[in-house]
Amino acid sequence: MRKKIIEMRGIVKSYYLGTPNELEILHGLDLDVYEGEFLSIVGASGSGKSTLMNILGALDRPTRGSYFLDDLPMENVKDEGLSRIRNQKIGFVFQTFNLIPRSSALNNVALPMLYGGKSRSERTQRAKELLQMVEMSARSHHRPNELSGGQKQRVAIARAMANDPAIILADEPTGALDTHTGRMVMDIFHQLHQEQGKTIILITHNTELAEETQRTIRLKDGSIVENYVNQKFHLEGRYESA
Amino acid sequence: MNLLENTRLALEGLRANKMRALLTMLGIIIGIASVMAISTLGSAMTGSVSKTMDKIGSKNISVYLTPKNYDSQPTMQPEDYITQDELDSFKTMYSSQIQAISLSKSMGSGELDSGYIHKDVSITGANPDYRLVNNINLVQGRFVSDRDIQSSRNVIIIDTTLRNNLVGVDGDPTGMDITVKTKTTNETYTVIGVYEKLVIDNPLFNMGDDTRVECFIPITTAMALGSEATTIPGYDSLTIMGAANGDTTAFAKTAKDYFLKSLDPLSDYTIESQSMESIVSEATGMLSTLSLGISVIAGISLLVGGIGVMNIMLVSVTERTKEIGIRKALGARNSAIRSQFIIESIIICLIGGMIGVALGAALGIFGSSLLKFPTTPPFGPMIIALCFSMGIGVFFGYYPANKAAHLDPIDALRYE
Repeated sequence: MRKKIIEMRGIVKSYYLGTPNELEILHGLDLDVYEGEFLSIVGASGSGKSTLMNILGALDRPTRGSYFLDDLPMENVKDEGLSRIRNQKIGFVFQTFNLIPRSSALNNVALPMLYGGKSRSERTQRAKELLQMVEMSARSHHRPNELSGGQKQRVAIARAMANDPAIILADEPTGALDTHTGRMVMDIFHQLHQEQGKTIILITHNTELAEETQRTIRLKDGSIVENYVNQKFHLEGRYESA
Repeated sequence: MNLLENTRLALEGLRANKMRALLTMLGIIIGIASVMAISTLGSAMTGSVSKTMDKIGSKNISVYLTPKNYDSQPTMQPEDYITQDELDSFKTMYSSQIQAISLSKSMGSGELDSGYIHKDVSITGANPDYRLVNNINLVQGRFVSDRDIQSSRNVIIIDTTLRNNLVGVDGDPTGMDITVKTKTTNETYTVIGVYEKLVIDNPLFNMGDDTRVECFIPITTAMALGSEATTIPGYDSLTIMGAANGDTTAFAKTAKDYFLKSLDPLSDYTIESQSMESIVSEATGMLSTLSLGISVIAGISLLVGGIGVMNIMLVSVTERTKEIGIRKALGARNSAIRSQFIIESIIICLIGGMIGVALGAALGIFGSSLLKFPTTPPFGPMIIALCFSMGIGVFFGYYPANKAAHLDPIDALRYE
């Protein structure tokens, strides 16, 4: 039995726009993600993808329901606790890269380790290794505005790996890139998945990309409407349906 | 997240916006610079006053008869004067507290006639202690001696300008006879000494260019020769030079009480005394109060500067909302965000404070050299100024920093 990295039960997220108007975005989701899985979450805009991602990424709390991340219960965790979980357990990769503009690539990669309390030498050492992994060593002292989109995203992936997180949450990581560089970025994810056994959750509206992942979850109007193992992985037959 | 890392982050932030950082600092710079300049000038002024007073005689106490009521302009009666006997017993009684007592009587102005030189001079009868108490700088010959007093000799001490007129800069006038004509006398005196006039080079004490030549003769000679007022055997004023380690302000009171005892209570006159130290401390006290007052007013500009810092920090937080969101997504705690912004604000204020201290010190040095009393800026206020500007950074940086710390990470990330 593979270890569950994520276990969500009955996740509801609603916004109160003043009583009695309650806007429910997620209607009681159940979701399990296993260690080493490469999962995609797809859905049209307004389907609740972003809300789910925020909850998965410990940026937000569900209104109801339970969420265990790497065996940690996420209920009743204070803000400071959420910061720590984001820092240690989650690596974000955003569509718009979200690098700190004034910091070099190296410092951007080192930043999560800074907040994690690692020493300067340790940070620099690991940041250099990570940049080497994404083949960005040559540009480690460049600032984001001196890098191309693909290069920025590679730095961002290196940064997501900084504290060796339990999951990597990639929100439309190729959305701002052309097909060619988008391909390169996807290859890096595959490499991380296959070589390092990283658990990766890819949020996208691109079904082609989703098909590259092992399993796809389709959201519609705040509910999971499909949960299927992609064709090329079907034969492995180790995925239970929800 | 340690201090060093935060400082590095803050400096990175400031480098990106140099012009804005400088403009923000301006309020702090001006405030700190003016406080610094004023405190330097203040200490220059007090220093200059004390230095000048020292030159005049810091241990001196003047005791003098003064009308009880100025408006009635009473005439001084001969019995009002302080007699030699009183003076002698006073001296014996308080010998340990007295270094010297200077006595003088002015004979008024006269005309010097040495055959080919005519010059207006004023003649003062003095006792030997006069030289010590009034800091007379003798350059040639000697001053009035006890024997000159005893025998009321016709001897005279002239000043260097008069010597230069008589015998030239390198000449020796001692032994020369000169004739001085006053309203009531026409006497010939033998020159026994030459003194150099005390020059008080202090713009705070502009005493005017006194070109009058003052010459000294033995006080007994003056009393024997002089007009009505000088011939009275007694003194209407005297200057006591107190002991070097004594409390001259207290002794001034003692002296006043002593001489009051022998003054007729019904006299129109009374005795007053004043120590130079009390005058100096009054003057320096006034100056420090004044400079403190101006500093406080200048300090108001620091408040304005602080508000400027707060304003720019608020702008900076808004501008960097997205960055704050990213940092939070990467696991920055609220406290880390807060300290990043507070330290940035402290650094703005501290750099501003340092520029201000340097500028103010330069202004102070320049100003104090104009006062002819070059002063190094006081160290204490420098440290206080720097601490104060740091305090401004914390105080005015806290609100914006706290605002940044409590931003919602999702909203902040979505901010464009």
